[in-house]
Amino acid sequence: MGQALALAGSMLTLLAALGVVRFTDALSRMHALTKASTVGLALVLLGGALTVDHPNDKTSLLLAGALQVLTMPVGANLMSRATYRARGIPSTVDTIDELAEHLGATHDEAG
Amino acid sequence: MITAGYVMLALAGMGFGYRLLAGPSLTDRVVGLDGLLIVGVSVVVLRAMQTGEGAFLPAAVVVTLVGFVSTAVVARFIEGRGR
Repeated sequence: MGQALALAGSMLTLLAALGVVRFTDALSRMHALTKASTVGLALVLLGGALTVDHPNDKTSLLLAGALQVLTMPVGANLMSRATYRARGIPSTVDTIDELAEHLGATHDEAG
Repeated sequence: MITAGYVMLALAGMGFGYRLLAGPSLTDRVVGLDGLLIVGVSVVVLRAMQTGEGAFLPAAVVVTLVGFVSTAVVARFIEGRGR
């Protein structure tokens, strides 16, 4: 059971790497990495927690999993917003750009 | 089964390493580095599952925290600098 979970997590990490290599846009690559590998690493850590025997090891694995699930979306949000606002990094947001309206509104309020 | 996991993680590490070396913008390099951290933590966990030896597992917690802090710092850096 634990080994099957770890194998599924490794497969998700491999899929994330495939997306990171193949996608054409910085924000798309970040999307591939964040979605797939948060769940992938959480599955690997959960499988490890089901497999190891000692309680200390279980606690370490579950703590690492909780921290990863909590911090990975926050870090990705910071990175993608910084990338969006930085000059010179092309992005292909071509349908609805709600962040532009929001950033414009906050800039007007601030300045 | 663990060996298959090692092989997949090795292939994923090669993909992330390619993006770390070749990525045109700083964001792509951070994405590659983040992926390599994830691969490293996964390999530590798989090794602990294989041998039953859990001495390296606190390193997984530490690497997770360091990865988040470095991502946040580089995000501030990109916001000021661009590209």
